[in-house]
Amino acid sequence: MSDVEAVEVASGRRPVAPFIALAVALVLGSLFWVLATSKSGPTDTLGLVDSPLIGKPAPAVRGTTADGATFELSRRKGSWVVVNFFNSRCVPCKAEHPALVAFEQQQTTLGADGAELYAIDQPPDSPAEIMAFFAERGGNWPVVLDDDGLFNVAFGVAQVPETFIIDPDGIVRMRWAGAIDSVTLALLVQQQRDIYGLQ
Amino acid sequence: MLAEGLNGLLGHTALIVGFAASLFGALALIAAIRLGNARLIKTVMPYGWLALGGAVMAVVVMERGLITRDWQLAYVQRVGSRDTPALFNFTALWSALEGSILLWLLLLAVYTAIIMHRYRARLADPLVGWALVVMFFVTAFFFFLALGPTDAFRAGVTPDFTACCKGPNPLLQNHVLVLFHPPILYLGYVGFTVPFAFAIAALVTGRVGEGWLVETRRWALFAWGFLTVGIVLGGWWSYEVLGWGGVWGWDPVENASFLPWLTGTAYIHSVMVQERRGMLRVWNLSLLVATFSLTILGTFLTRSGVVNSVHAFSDSTIGPFLLGAFGVVVLVSLGLIAWRGDRLRSPGAIDSPISREGAFLANNVLLALFAFVILLGTVFPLIVEAKDNRKIAVGSPFFDTMSQPIGLVLLFLMAVAPALPWRKASGELLRDRLFWPAWCGAGTLALSVFLGATDLAPLLAFTFAGFAGGAAIRQLVLATRRQGYRGLLGRTNGGMVVHLGVIIIAVALAASNSYTRSAEFTMMKGETVSFAGHTFKVLDVLDFTTPRTVGIKAEISIDGGQAYAPAISKYTAFGMDVPTPSVKTSLVQDIYLTLENGSKPSTGEAKIKVFIKPMVVWLWIGGTLCAFGTLLAAFPGKNRRRPTDAVSAPIPLDEVASV
Amino acid sequence: MSAASSVKRWPGWVLLAFVVAGCLAYGVTRDAGARTPEERVEEISKQLACPICNGETVYESRNTASASIRAEIKNQVSTTDASDDAIIAYVVQQFGAKTQLLPRASGFESLVWVIPGVALVCAGVGLFFSFRKWRTNVDTVPDAADRARVEAAMAAEDSGES
Repeated sequence: MSDVEAVEVASGRRPVAPFIALAVALVLGSLFWVLATSKSGPTDTLGLVDSPLIGKPAPAVRGTTADGATFELSRRKGSWVVVNFFNSRCVPCKAEHPALVAFEQQQTTLGADGAELYAIDQPPDSPAEIMAFFAERGGNWPVVLDDDGLFNVAFGVAQVPETFIIDPDGIVRMRWAGAIDSVTLALLVQQQRDIYGLQ
Repeated sequence: MLAEGLNGLLGHTALIVGFAASLFGALALIAAIRLGNARLIKTVMPYGWLALGGAVMAVVVMERGLITRDWQLAYVQRVGSRDTPALFNFTALWSALEGSILLWLLLLAVYTAIIMHRYRARLADPLVGWALVVMFFVTAFFFFLALGPTDAFRAGVTPDFTACCKGPNPLLQNHVLVLFHPPILYLGYVGFTVPFAFAIAALVTGRVGEGWLVETRRWALFAWGFLTVGIVLGGWWSYEVLGWGGVWGWDPVENASFLPWLTGTAYIHSVMVQERRGMLRVWNLSLLVATFSLTILGTFLTRSGVVNSVHAFSDSTIGPFLLGAFGVVVLVSLGLIAWRGDRLRSPGAIDSPISREGAFLANNVLLALFAFVILLGTVFPLIVEAKDNRKIAVGSPFFDTMSQPIGLVLLFLMAVAPALPWRKASGELLRDRLFWPAWCGAGTLALSVFLGATDLAPLLAFTFAGFAGGAAIRQLVLATRRQGYRGLLGRTNGGMVVHLGVIIIAVALAASNSYTRSAEFTMMKGETVSFAGHTFKVLDVLDFTTPRTVGIKAEISIDGGQAYAPAISKYTAFGMDVPTPSVKTSLVQDIYLTLENGSKPSTGEAKIKVFIKPMVVWLWIGGTLCAFGTLLAAFPGKNRRRPTDAVSAPIPLDEVASV
Repeated sequence: MSAASSVKRWPGWVLLAFVVAGCLAYGVTRDAGARTPEERVEEISKQLACPICNGETVYESRNTASASIRAEIKNQVSTTDASDDAIIAYVVQQFGAKTQLLPRASGFESLVWVIPGVALVCAGVGLFFSFRKWRTNVDTVPDAADRARVEAAMAAEDSGES
């Protein structure tokens, strides 16, 4: 090995490999740390989630309900509105449905203070499929067809079910991603009602 | 019941035997090298054959389980079904994580056995010995994966046929390319283990000579060729199956295959500088280490679920092990390089940036930068998530923006480098050698403008491609004029054929990405529309059923000719729609038809989408040329490693004096 | 010097430069023709990630959310005169940053643009210094004796071949 060292001395070289190796190791070490701590799998948060719409007027989108009537969200001002996005083929929506039925019944007992429930149906359900869904599972609230996905995009809903709470001034108050249960939904609406009453 | 339990038992036994054999093989070899014991070395060969036997056995048993529908095995329940056609039932082996590890293992064991057999007379040589030790350890690691974290032979619960046993993912059971793309890609991935093993051996033994390079050059080339073909086939598959008319989407899994390709490409160029001038030794070792660790990292990224990708297999426990392996490989290699690096450095110098070695150096810097940018983009969402806990995406617009300038400069280098002599070039020499290639570029540009091409980036791509093509053809013409057909053989000339293939792919990509026209039509049966100079007539809209699918197809006559039938099939077991595009191919352009959801055979309404994509077929022609060129390059050409060869003629004395 | 090689001197190259510059200028500036609305929808949807799928663009993905977004883009393209960027910004605002495939050039995300540039500059500077060092440090200049040896070897080989 002395000849190699001799060459090194002759050409006046200083050792650089350890330093370069160390620098590369530092970079790769941080990459390793990022990879080791990253969560695997899709980690979409469920429950109360943020939305650019919160505190802003609900989008003025128009649609047609399953029984052919025109639906316009801005016409619903004056009462609390709960908008539920669903699809008759989605499994969590099926699981969520009884909670919505219970919630609707509970709200009707409140009279004029009760929230109105509307459902927005994600394509590609046909009116017949929606009828069958409700006939089998109960519930009787207006279902808006969203064949062009206007509501989906306006509310930023990528995956059903999702639920929005809108106050009597037409301001979006809350967004819930994933299936919700009737008690939580009623509590959240009541909570918003109390805040609204203080203003 | 006995026969069914047998498969699981046999599979586990084969894996345990293979694991033990590769581990003992490695340990025996280390002991033999340390002690210089010739008798001990003789015991290594049987271990290698036993490991190969274990891997072959495991794959055969799994195939047997798939073919005989052995529902005792959880894996067969997952990817098998009663009515999968024989071909897709065979390929179901690699349609999920566990089986794909078995395939990887098989190829690795085959490579190890070939290396062992080929160098059987030289196992006592520490360099070969250590290389084989590394291969044994890597094999043992994959045996371990197949035994523990991804156990393919795990016994399943009693199958409930209403919920399970649906067969492989619909995308993996509707095109014959599933038989070719994954194994060929894996041959490339796994093949880079061989040069990596020799690189580690060179570091361990401190053997600085060029000997190990000669041993591994052809292996690296072999792996590179398979990786290239595998990637091109993947693009073809995507084009034929996914129905959006594209070949490459910068998906993390695609990036994972592209990263080792880039570093591998850098290596097969820079290794020539080392052979010629004895320089860049540490750099070459690092490139091999990088290539191998990127295959492991890529497997981790795509098999652990940390990045989202359509290709990714479902969550599993394999992630930490692969990440650990990546860490160990990087740590060991960096440690060895830090320890040996300065000793390996060569005393030579590159005389001028305008020289063949200067061009190789520039090419290496660019390819390494390219790989770095793609790795950064691929893991960047994870970095942001680790820092701020919010989700972002980095996708094709970013990668397109970044790869365009790098690709253009690489094309330019491909044009100039073949004309550059080693050591030093004069302006006059370049003016002379590059004259006709440059006019090729100008001619290509003029032709493409004449044919209606627009926009700066594709026009530059065509110009440089013509330039580079001219340079490659010039080299081939000179070589064949001198040596006849043998002028096509060997590294330099075969490499020029590969260059031509890559250039054709670059042109086809630039043209098909920049000048695609598309439109969507909703038409009734019998109706005709015209678009981009072609007419499309809907002849019929039909329902069809196969044992596994229900679907709709439309028969569409293009320009009054033969009917093309794009379809959508719903795989009933999965409830998943799989489009089947129909393509009219020609050398000039492809007419790519897809049927969209919302078509109704009952009313004769068809929703079709038409893409007119220029030059797509040249992607596959270019890929074939790359494979062919790699073969030519692997043949021994005229022996050019002589110091007296004209291309490395000494610098004239007066120039030396002026240095 | 033959006629061919004198052409390869300046006249040929100057002509080449004119041809290339002319063709490029003509090709770049001429109008590519109007895009169909579908092509605009396509270009925009290729810039957006499907919000719920694994790494597919809105353009490639076949699910409901992507179909909704495509319908919205189509709607905005045909009924408003919003620019491509405005439509992209709208969708990203509605569905969150995970749908934006082109990272922003501000904040922490700008690093993904800055780091490659820094790497390029580092590589360039590194190469520059290497070449400078190599140039001042050529330690293997062949001397007259080496050259004589090479001459002898070449002569021996030539006579051996013939």
